[in-house]
Amino acid sequence: MTAPFDFLPNEKKREATKLLPWVMAIMVYLSALAATGSLLLHSGFDDWASSLQGRVTVQITGEDPDIMSAQSDEIQDTLRATPGVSSVRPLNDQEIRTLLEPWLGAGNITDDLPIPIMIDVETNEDVYVNLEALESKIKQISDSVYLDDHARWLNDFYQLAYTVESTGAGILIMILLASVCIIIFGTKSSMSEHKSTIEIMHLMGAHDQMIARAYQNRFMKYGLKGGIIGLVLSFITVYGFLILIQNLSGGFVETPTLPYLKMSILLMFPLIFAALAMITARITVMRELGRMV
Amino acid sequence: MVEFRNVSMSYERGHDVLKDISFKLPPGSMHFLTGPSGAGKTSLLKLMYLARRPTRGEIMMFGRDVAKSAREDLPKLRRRIGVVFQDFRLLDHMTAVENVALPLRIAGGSGAHINEHVEELLAWVGLKDKMTAYPSTLSGGEKQRVAIARAVIRRPDILLADEPTGNVDPEMAERLMYLFVELNKLGTTTVIATHDNGLVEKFGSARLHLVSGKLLHLEGTPNGEGSI
Repeated sequence: MTAPFDFLPNEKKREATKLLPWVMAIMVYLSALAATGSLLLHSGFDDWASSLQGRVTVQITGEDPDIMSAQSDEIQDTLRATPGVSSVRPLNDQEIRTLLEPWLGAGNITDDLPIPIMIDVETNEDVYVNLEALESKIKQISDSVYLDDHARWLNDFYQLAYTVESTGAGILIMILLASVCIIIFGTKSSMSEHKSTIEIMHLMGAHDQMIARAYQNRFMKYGLKGGIIGLVLSFITVYGFLILIQNLSGGFVETPTLPYLKMSILLMFPLIFAALAMITARITVMRELGRMV
Repeated sequence: MVEFRNVSMSYERGHDVLKDISFKLPPGSMHFLTGPSGAGKTSLLKLMYLARRPTRGEIMMFGRDVAKSAREDLPKLRRRIGVVFQDFRLLDHMTAVENVALPLRIAGGSGAHINEHVEELLAWVGLKDKMTAYPSTLSGGEKQRVAIARAVIRRPDILLADEPTGNVDPEMAERLMYLFVELNKLGTTTVIATHDNGLVEKFGSARLHLVSGKLLHLEGTPNGEGSI
């Protein structure tokens, strides 16, 4: 085992790999954005889904408001009497109008428009409520009553979340593979550029490991340098987007909250890319040297 | 002892550039390797400094057949061989001192004593004022001397030089030859490929003469060393 010895020319001198840190910066930037996007969506999906879990909406439709109101009272009594139901609250007119406005437009909801009665029901998580039985029971009061436990919508929602997260993971894997290819290409280019230096080292008795170590250390620095630059740029971009969303929405759309704890994994990206660059460069150099006598 | 037994070599399926070469060089001997251009002198040296393996035959060095040695054993053997390349092969991004110190650094040496030793040798070859100069700023002769200093810095068991005096004036050529002779007296087996017949005659060492890849004759063996 010999002492570490960097025999390669200075980075500032012209060489095939001098742009590599910037390529790595772009790769880490894209990876961090993909990961942040996935984490944000995951976090948002979790928040939305958890807010819907344990909630049921009962909708009563009809043409005669008086009949609908009487049916609503009876249904509310039935619901309150059901074990496991913790809260029953009919939405007031204003709340229903607010819900309808995004679809019908502000000011288009007139008094003669048949608006259903909506009852927000919360169930106790600890007690099982047989929603099918409950729906049959309240349907005896009115045929025009619907119970929505959001299950179908939540299923579609989870499927979308899973697809988005899988796509994010796929993008990350593709970026990692592309990075490996770029590192291999960069290492081979550098070896080709410094062919005579490597040959001399080889002929003077340098072990393959010594030559590989010089390369792996250099490429590790490229990965780390590029990784830090890419990560900082990605953070600036994400915060820029958040500010933009906040300004654009004017409070209509809730600004996503960054899951800081989960996002701390992004701090590992420069280290992951540095390790990837180091290992890839070492394997490439050892394989190339293996072809020499 | 260096011994070639029926060695032939070709480059990538080409014809043989060395044909059935056999000779013995006793330890501590000094030989000139002569022959016209294209005779195979550099190829023979390449086999001796373990840059290539022969197509056929055995090469006995350091008590083993290096032609069949495992690849991982070769670096250790190469450290016992000093080589002066015809085209110098200095590393352009390193100063003269750094170039000469390279074999010591490769062998794991570090620290001030390396530089001291290197500077002493560079001063001896007349490059005291060029210690920190880069090869691109040196003349052909100066590069040659740096290359020679690099080859001998570790007092190798075998010294191989490919036209080592080709780019220096006669006075420096003679001086460098005396350096080789001194090293040879210390026990270094020396082989010098050259076109300079005057130098061969003056130093009168044994001679390996190649023509078209064949070792034709071994002559001028005043000490009875060397045999085909």
